[in-house]
Parts: sequence; structure tokens; C-alpha cells
Amino acid sequence: MRIDKHPILKFHRGREIEFELDGRGLTGYEGETIAAAIHAAGVRTLRTSIRLGRPRGFFCAIGRCSSCLMTVNGIPNVMTCITPLERGMKIETQTDKGHIAETGSSPRKGPSALAAQRPRGGRRGTADAEEPSRAEEPRARDLGHTPLAVVGGGPAGLSAAIAAGRLGVESVIIDENEAPGGQLIKQTHMFFGSKEHYAKVRGVDIGGRLTSELSELPARLLNNTTVLGLYPDRALSLLRDGRHHRLSADAVVLATGASENMLAFPGCDLPGVYGAGAVQTLMNVDGVVPGARVLMVGAGNIGLIVAYQLLQAGVEVAAVIEGLPTIGGYHVHGAKIRRAGVPIMTAHTILEAEGRGRVEKALVARVDADWRTVPGSETEFDVDTVCLAVGLSPNCELALMGGCEETYVAELGGRVAVHGSDLETSMPGVFIAGDASGIEEASTAMLEGRLAGLAAAERVGEPLDETLLESMRDEAADGLAALRSGPFGDRPRTGKEKMYDLARKLRQRGERREERSVDVQK
Amino acid sequence: MRSSAECVIIGGGVVGTAVAYYLAKRGMRDVVVLERDFLASGATGRCGGGIRQQWSTEPNTRLAIESVRIWKTLEDELDADIEFLQGGYLVLAYTDDDVAQFEKNVGLQRGLGLAVETLSPEEILTEVTPHLNTEGVRMATWCAEDASANPFLTTQAYADAARRLGVEIELWTPACRIIVEGGRVAGVETPRGKISSPFVVNAAGGHSVPLARTAGVELPVTPYRREILVSEPLERFLDPMIISFSYGVYFRQTKHGAVIGGFADPDAPEGFDESSSLAFLVSMTKKLRHLMPILAPVKIVRQWAGLYDVTPDAQPILGATDGVEGLFQANGFSGHGFMIAPKVAELLAQAIAGEEPELDIERLNARRFEGGDFTQDRSVV
Repeated sequence: MRIDKHPILKFHRGREIEFELDGRGLTGYEGETIAAAIHAAGVRTLRTSIRLGRPRGFFCAIGRCSSCLMTVNGIPNVMTCITPLERGMKIETQTDKGHIAETGSSPRKGPSALAAQRPRGGRRGTADAEEPSRAEEPRARDLGHTPLAVVGGGPAGLSAAIAAGRLGVESVIIDENEAPGGQLIKQTHMFFGSKEHYAKVRGVDIGGRLTSELSELPARLLNNTTVLGLYPDRALSLLRDGRHHRLSADAVVLATGASENMLAFPGCDLPGVYGAGAVQTLMNVDGVVPGARVLMVGAGNIGLIVAYQLLQAGVEVAAVIEGLPTIGGYHVHGAKIRRAGVPIMTAHTILEAEGRGRVEKALVARVDADWRTVPGSETEFDVDTVCLAVGLSPNCELALMGGCEETYVAELGGRVAVHGSDLETSMPGVFIAGDASGIEEASTAMLEGRLAGLAAAERVGEPLDETLLESMRDEAADGLAALRSGPFGDRPRTGKEKMYDLARKLRQRGERREERSVDVQK
Repeated sequence: MRSSAECVIIGGGVVGTAVAYYLAKRGMRDVVVLERDFLASGATGRCGGGIRQQWSTEPNTRLAIESVRIWKTLEDELDADIEFLQGGYLVLAYTDDDVAQFEKNVGLQRGLGLAVETLSPEEILTEVTPHLNTEGVRMATWCAEDASANPFLTTQAYADAARRLGVEIELWTPACRIIVEGGRVAGVETPRGKISSPFVVNAAGGHSVPLARTAGVELPVTPYRREILVSEPLERFLDPMIISFSYGVYFRQTKHGAVIGGFADPDAPEGFDESSSLAFLVSMTKKLRHLMPILAPVKIVRQWAGLYDVTPDAQPILGATDGVEGLFQANGFSGHGFMIAPKVAELLAQAIAGEEPELDIERLNARRFEGGDFTQDRSVV
């Protein structure tokens, strides 16, 4: 179901277009993703699991979880949650691993062998059809060299490019989505903090401000582009328009954000169990409601905020449950949804999601101090949606693939690439910032991004305005310290301190090793 | 970890675990396998999993034929699913040299009893796969009995079977030094302590060279980086492994459904570098698209690299070591250790246990290189 009236957002939908789902004619809007259009049409099952044939639906909405893989125009395993809908698309529910042999009669018309996650019309079947017998295979396109490559156009990445740009350092920002802004584009709530950290501005507007600031600076945005790999000498392989491209850089800032955590319980894979971020995307970007009645699991800031946003979109929230004895988010967010009559049940967990083919019920129970369920405390909720807001994990795959040292820091959300306070990883010239370097929030991500951008600008090696550099660095560092000084800053501050300490030790060890090898050479 | 053993095997790849199994099967059960990381973490776990009998030299062909004999019943013997499949190997010829060499190979292979045939490009399409682009292909050799298996499952199966017979496998335990006393091997030093043993097997792949050096032995083995990639899983469309020496490629579809393949970069520098390169990703996907155009929309999900431990004749170094009694070599497999591991391991176990090996392994001893009179196997990819 689509949202028609919303207190904050206006949905500028594109032209209505027709497409086919399993032979059935449906309509959607230009500019939305395939998965959103299908969801709006009331279809919850996008595929069935390979081994057990269980139905799978929408879950992460950011191209991470593989729950939405479908066959699109004969190409199997397309991530429909990030692939734009196009007129006349033939979409099929996949019940197996996918077939290529039967559909491959006109092979040269397919997109690149390198992860054709976005079959785009226009490219296929038109350009290629004009030269069907082209003997030369398409080569990887070389995008050449850039002083600074920023991976991810969210708050951290945009801030890195802005900081470097203010010093006159050129950058290329690579982002998987149509529009930059990362997760900001779905955040309709106003930010806290001080004015310079965009307090009282809605997330969705902060993204716009960053983007417009960037437009004045020497930065270029490559949207709808996925970075596939990070190689030695800071070479990146990119997927753009179904084609493989190469780009190299003097410095790279990885600002790849985070993925939502899953919670394991019987029925957790049923269509109707969504990540909270995915629900935000569906509601606030696509203007589609996830369901009619929702159980929110997790009362951290994301859980509380998304519960309120669900109410704004006209969706009933049955309850917010939280495993801990107190809510984890700001009390002001909690108070808002309590005032709206939504119970927040602390020390409660979800036992099971039930339903035939989709969520119909959720079973909840109280837990004691040792996380054991209290017998007899079970409560059943008639809900069609379970929304999981149980934390995030850093997306550090690119850093690890490139060969950055990694470590596990619980306070930062798990596995992270080792980085110092200048955000440089163990790979020289490769920096990491924002949630990718440890889970915090958008305000800290922006400041970390700036610091990474400044350090990366120094690495580029062009003469810089040192005074401006230092003042920008002091400002960002002070801002970060202030944001991390509050009660909610304890955890990331501890995590970051551990991290910087480890980075220092690793660097010292590396230096000692270098000294030794110099001695040997002498 | 025990402090003494009848035999210490260095390397928890398919060769090391298989030698342990065949020793235990012969009654030598007081055996320890030392693995630096986890099972199959070296070359074994990084390989393509092909099992080919079509070689250009007699020892490799014979070892491969005898190994397939073992492979066929290995799942029953080890009581485990190792995804063994006799899907065949199609070897493509593109040049005059290829054609001439393949004719010689087929003669040799048939002489050793291998059912191998030659196919025209048209016959490839009708008899092996309709999806191959045969542009430029002059002919191919085809052996339906060639096979593939899962390297991880195979190594695990050998290790489990060996453990059931009493073998100890020590993971995360590198061998730092082979201890030699008075011209005899005396044991192995590890960070967790010393294990004394009258027999030591060096099955450490590319790392066999520095390891042998700790015993004062110089092996003519050079490590080279070899890269490989794998696609998303798809429903089955391809049973055989397809390879070409002159075009430089090998690929197959795993039981899981993924397409796995690679090629040997002739310019790869020697050494222990196991990083992945962008150049390989680009070249390999181009090769795949060229050879099998239906792969065009398939997504590559991962690439990695491993080490070939290459000898001057591309044949393994197997058996006793001159000057160090009790030290056995099982390395230098030059990129085809997985496929011949069953027979090689069995032969080596026979030699260590003091039996007469069924096949002459003396010709694979490292001393063959001293005279400079050896024949290089040309069927290497």
C-alpha cells in the first residue's frame, strides 16, 4: 500500500509504468526500486530459499542480504531492492539458484560478467543491438586517476569530500544509489546537538545541504556505481551501467556505512520481518507502508524513531519491545511514542514469528536478568510486520579485501579495520570513516568523515593551506570529542580509544620492522 | 600435543592428511600432522578441484590414472561426501603446437589404458556442451572419466578418517624447524614444543622450500602466485572441466553451482605473495565470456590467490631425501597436487612403512634434477 498523506514528506513519484511479475501485469513508478513496486502491489514473497523452499521477502533494502534476489529480464539473482524499476521489465519469483542456459541465446546483449546487479534498459537491447556481431569483448573502462576517491556518499563520505575540497583537493565520490546522502535520505527526524552539527535539521535535509555544499567544490559524484574491489596501489574496480570500470587514487576514504543486525528466532526469515532501516527506506523514500500492524523489536534510537515514523505514515504499532531493562535511546523519543499510546515493553524478547507464508503473529515473553524467558509471561501480538532494530555492524569488507589489518572491538559493533585517530588504516593512503569504522551516528560520521578527508588531502601531496587545514582539523576533533563526551558517547569513545591504541602499537611494530630491515641492508 | 611420534607430517592439506590416513591404515597410528593454520588453508583449499588424467608425461599420467581408481571409491572408503563427480575434462587445442602435442599425448595416454578421444569443434557442441564458443578451436581431447571433487571436503574426510585411526592433527601449529642429528631426522620444532620422530614428511606446499632449508636441504621448488575466482551459484548447466594450455584457462561448475576458474599468469613473479589482482579479474572474466558467452550476466562473487609449488619438470618431488635419513618430501606438485594426492600419498605411506611402493617413485626423487636430464610435462595450466 502506498502512502498518500504524510505530515513531513511529499513523494514526488515518477511516471506510472507497467511491468510483469510472473506473467501478471502490474504498475509501478519510474524511479522506485523493483522491490518497492512489488511490495506496493501487496506481494510479500520475492523468492524461496534454495534448500528448504521457504518464502523470502524484503529485508535490508540496501543490497546486502540477498533476500530479494529475483530473475529480471532473464537474468537470475538480481538484487531487486536496489535495482530501479523500468517499463516492461519481466520479473520472475526465483525458486532455485537461477538458470542462465535457457535465456542465454543472445549472450552479447547481457550486461557485464562482473556482477550485473542493475540491468538497465536502454543500454541493453538498444546500443548493443546495433552492433550485435561486435567481435571485441567490451574492455574494462579506465576512469583514470583521481587525487581522492571516496567510497560511499553518506554523511561520512560527503563530509570527507567537502573537507578535502575546501583545501582544493579534487575527489570522486562513488555511491551505489541514485541520489547521494546515504541513510540520511530516509531520516525524517530532527537531529540533536549543536547548531554546527545540524541540530534541529531533519536528516533528509542534511543530505541535501551536504550535496549542495559539495556542488561548489572540485568533487565529482559517480552515482548508481558499486565498488567491487580495492586492490594494491589504491586501485578500485567499479560496476557502472553493467560495465566494469577502473579508477586509481592517491588516497581512498572508505565510508561504506553499516548493515543491520539480524536476530535469530523461529520464523525470523518469514516475509514481513524487516530491518528497521529497510522499513525507513520503504516508507520515507518509496512512500510504501511495510504493513498494517507492526511489532518493533529494539528500543534504541533507531527502534524508537522508526516506530514514530511508522505512526506518521499511518501504520499501527502494536508495541516496542526491548531486551534490556531500560530503553537504549533518548527518552524524548521514547516519550513521544508512549504519548501516542504505544507500549514500550522493556525486558521482553521475541520468541517466534508465526504465519503461513508471511508474518501473522508474533510471540513475545519477558526475560529475567540472565536473559532467560519467564514462563507464563508470553504475550501474542496479531501483527503482519516485525521490525528489527537490534543494532548495526560495520561494512568493512572492502577494507578487508584490500588487505587492511582487522580486529574485533565490541564497542564499535564488531569487526573493523584497524585505524588511528587520523582514520588511516594499515594500508597506506586508505582511510575509513563513519559507521564503517565503528557504529556511532550520523553527526559523528560527518565529523569523522571530515577528519578522514583532511588526512587524505594531506596524503595526496599537493601543497595545502596549512592554517586552514589545522583550523578545520581542530574544529572537527573538538566536535567529535564533545559528541562523544555525553552518556551515549561512552561506548564508542571506549571503542575508539582501544582502536587508536592498537593502531599505534601496530604502527610502532611496523616501524621497528622497517628499522631492522634497514639495519640488515646496511 | 604429544612430544614424540612415529611420524610427523608437516602440512594439513590434502597430501599431508592423506599420507597420515594411509600410514594409519598400514598400522602406523602414532602420527602427528602439523598445520600452520586450518585444514586445507594453503594451496589445497585454494585450488579448482579438478581431477585430470590427461597428461603429457608418463609419471603424471600414471599417477593420475591410479589416483582416479582410488577417487572412485573414496567416498565409501572415507565414509564422507566429497562431491566427487566424473564430469570429464575437455582440453581445447588452438595452435599447431597444441594439435601436434595432443596427438602425442593421446598416444601416451591410450598406451597407459586411458579412455581418451579427440573431438572436432562440432563434436564438442553436440557431445560435451552446446554453450562453448568454438571460435579458433582446432580440436579437443576429451576424457569422460576425468573428474572433480571438493578440496575442503576431501581434506576434511581424510583428516577425519585418519583421526578415527588414532592420528593427531594439530591445527594452528607451524613447524619452525626440522631437527637433524647426525644425518638423521630427529623431530620437528614448533612454538608449542618439540616432537621427536624418526620420520618427517615435508608436505608444506610452497613453504616446503624454507622448511627443507632448516634441515640443510635445498629443493628445486619455486612458489608462484596463481589466481582464481568464483561466481554466484546457478542451477547445473555444465558437468566437465574445460581447459586450454595455449589460451590459458580452466573452469568448471561446482556441485554448489558456482563457476570456478582461473589461469596461470606467465608473468607472475615468484614468491609468497597471495594477494588478488584487478588485472586477473579483468582478464579472467573476459576469457570466460569469450569461451562461454552465456556466462555474460553471471556475477563474480569472490577472487583469491594461492601458491603453485613449481618444479623444473612440473612433476612432484616425492620420497626420501639424500643426506637426511628419515626425511621424506611430498611437494613440488606444480599446481596438480589435489588430483594425484590419493595415489601419491598411498605410495609415500608404503615407502615410509618400509613396504615396496606399488609404483616406482624413485624417478620422482629430487635427485633427478642433478643430472639435468628430465622431461617437462607440457600439459600444465
